[in-house]
Amino acid sequence: MAPEKEEFVDIEPKVFEKEYLEPIHRVGFWTCLAVSLAMFLPPLLLYLIYGVAAPWAAIGAGMALALTYAVPFFFIEPISYYPIYGDAGNYMSMTTGNVSNLRLPCAAVAQDVAGVKLGTRKGAAIACIGIAVSVMFGIICVLFGSIFGGWVTAQFPSWLTEAFKVYLLPAIWGAVFGEFALMGPIYALPALIIAGIPLLLGWKAYFTIPIAVFGTILFGWALYRWRKIAPPE
Amino acid sequence: MDWKVIANAPWIWICGFIQAAIGFFQAAYMYRVATRVLEKHGGYTRSDIWTMVRGALITALGPVLAEIFVMMALVISISPGYCWQREGVGVGSVFTELVQASNAAIGAGEEFGTPSFSMRGFATAVFVANVSCIGWSLGAAFFTRYLGVARERIARGDPRFLAIISICSTLGIFGFYAAKEMKKGGGKLVAVVAGAIISAFLFKLADWLKVPRLKEWALGIAMFLGMYIAHLVYPAG
Repeated sequence: MAPEKEEFVDIEPKVFEKEYLEPIHRVGFWTCLAVSLAMFLPPLLLYLIYGVAAPWAAIGAGMALALTYAVPFFFIEPISYYPIYGDAGNYMSMTTGNVSNLRLPCAAVAQDVAGVKLGTRKGAAIACIGIAVSVMFGIICVLFGSIFGGWVTAQFPSWLTEAFKVYLLPAIWGAVFGEFALMGPIYALPALIIAGIPLLLGWKAYFTIPIAVFGTILFGWALYRWRKIAPPE
Repeated sequence: MDWKVIANAPWIWICGFIQAAIGFFQAAYMYRVATRVLEKHGGYTRSDIWTMVRGALITALGPVLAEIFVMMALVISISPGYCWQREGVGVGSVFTELVQASNAAIGAGEEFGTPSFSMRGFATAVFVANVSCIGWSLGAAFFTRYLGVARERIARGDPRFLAIISICSTLGIFGFYAAKEMKKGGGKLVAVVAGAIISAFLFKLADWLKVPRLKEWALGIAMFLGMYIAHLVYPAG
């Protein structure tokens, strides 16, 4: 497909609001609420069908541990990822997880293939398509994986299975970083340094991620504000 | 009854199907809305949309396969039914699931993945893993619309600054993950560097050769080659 032409024309704000954002927010709200409620189904059915319930003390201790791990990310992830994938992307990503390793790369490649400008309304709708495809594809594959996963993984040579487990994630981080480094080469090294310093100091991820994201944005803003430097058109 | 039998009984598969159906419907609906608005007001044709879909599918293949490999830990330690219920809609990655199951087991005074893990541990894992993750979906339900307003206010509608926010936040996030793996050195450092160089080269090559279709494959190829080069230098396992 032909990338966007020199004269980029975005979707009209009012049209976008009415025909895209309104239905997205309506369905996003109710489906997120529905999936939250559906999370209570398994413990409820386990109790109703088999009379098995976890002791409250165990739930309290387990929840305390689990929430210590999860709560910071309830806030950090949507705030950090939103500028990349927009409203629809946030509803889907917060419902289905696997954001950095799956949703964001799919959103990024869809935008790149379309040659659309980032941060635009068209860009948000295209990211939505990339993420939606990854969600539908993922659900189908996980179903097959749950049923036939043992057989499927046995078909791969053991070195490949091990390489997938050990090296695929680092390769994904590198690949997406490389893609975006092309879009804003001036920000690439500072982004690594801003993230690298707290990492070297051994700070927790829930401190380091906001520092990495907002530190890099601040750097980009400072260059724009005082040196008028912006990503290439 | 043995907890492993209960952990793979129809009830848990049905729970998984209900949750996955909601996630699938949400994605299908949003796909439809985005497609319609891009075709009607964005100047994109059906074949343009299909190009984006193909790019996303190619890119999703590697991470989804990797997820299935890691999922096997959950299938073996608990059951295929539990794995489907937790991963079908995929709230949290498999890594998160393993951490949450371990946390639940500790809460129940047991150890996940060992013979000490019993019905008590399983019931606690079912409760804790499911209920502790609703913060993400509830947060999205109530706060997503305000994220856009906040972003617009910060950027004051300046399209160049909006682009800076998008690029810098992506480089910030992936800079964090890349730096984290690079710090570990060895094959992981090689995978990050190889993935970055190959990806940048392929995206640039697509522009030089004026073959935009190469971009559909660029991330997928870079992931696999990055992984393979790291394995050649530092064999995994």
